[in-house]
Amino acid sequence: MQHFALTIIGRDRPGIVSQVTEILFKGGFNIADSSCSILGGQFSMILLISNPEITSPEQFSETFKPLEENNLSVYIRTLKSGGEIRPEMEGELCMISVYGADKPGIVYQVAKELGDRSISITDLNTKLIGDKQKPIYVMMLEAMLPEGVEIKDVESWMEKLKQQLQVDISVRSLATMEL
Amino acid sequence: MAVKKVLVYPDPLLKKVCAPITAIDEPARQLLVDLVDTMVDAGHSVGIAAPQIGTLLRAAVVDVSKSKLGKKQKNHGLLQMVNPEIIEKEGNQIVREGCMSVPDYTGNVTRAESVVVQFLDENHQRQVIHAEGFEAIAIQHELDHLDGFLFLDRVSSLKTDLFRRKH
Repeated sequence: MQHFALTIIGRDRPGIVSQVTEILFKGGFNIADSSCSILGGQFSMILLISNPEITSPEQFSETFKPLEENNLSVYIRTLKSGGEIRPEMEGELCMISVYGADKPGIVYQVAKELGDRSISITDLNTKLIGDKQKPIYVMMLEAMLPEGVEIKDVESWMEKLKQQLQVDISVRSLATMEL
Repeated sequence: MAVKKVLVYPDPLLKKVCAPITAIDEPARQLLVDLVDTMVDAGHSVGIAAPQIGTLLRAAVVDVSKSKLGKKQKNHGLLQMVNPEIIEKEGNQIVREGCMSVPDYTGNVTRAESVVVQFLDENHQRQVIHAEGFEAIAIQHELDHLDGFLFLDRVSSLKTDLFRRKH
């Protein structure tokens, strides 16, 4: 079945999720994976949707008109076949916390250490906390370490960044207990 | 060897409260053997509870000593528990859990850091043990099954708590 990625973002207010999902429900869509959250004052929704009757975005883009009229931005991406299927990822899940005085390049430098070694980031959240005079940057990152990469390897790469960026970084295994 | 099929949600048996076992007789012993066989056969599993193989009785087995993470910690090896009951809990730890009965999903669950659990073992001996770390998590997870709770009922946060807290 053809899947689409639907991204919706706009000023947060009560009722966004219900308005969006009412349109999807009435339009006969299934929601597979989704992730929705508040970023600053914006509510953002990312959903993978499908409808057995629908193969192209032109067939349903009009149905989101009421959202646009309510100041929500809507973007539809047509997925290639199989794009809705999560790949099997083997390895050890690792959590990296980075925090310190705000400065440019914190996310990039940390991500580069992982990206250069083809390590997948599976989740990433950043937030600016503290007061305006002394903003603190907090980043929480989850990465899947492939076979042959150990937590202590990641720790040693991060040790260098700690000095370079003058931030605190801790790395730990996010052991998933299969029960 | 009797490896049983592991029930997967939405099987209604997974949401039932299990009945106590009245005697450690042959059927009860067989149930423990089946649980151990099924847990071992599942390879990655460190525990299983009777309702997961379709028996609504209060029995569960746990063995973290074979798992990569559990074996580094203090543990009791194979625990065969009949009518187990947690009588003390201490501390908190957050762990990412997955369950054979809820495939393809993991969630962060807050569990007690250590527990004291009492149960009858396979030889009808009353045991009271103090478990911590991974073993304590496994015990709490499996005992939840006996009351119809899945880890999905215990997920404490979708994302890091820090981001949710209002100052």
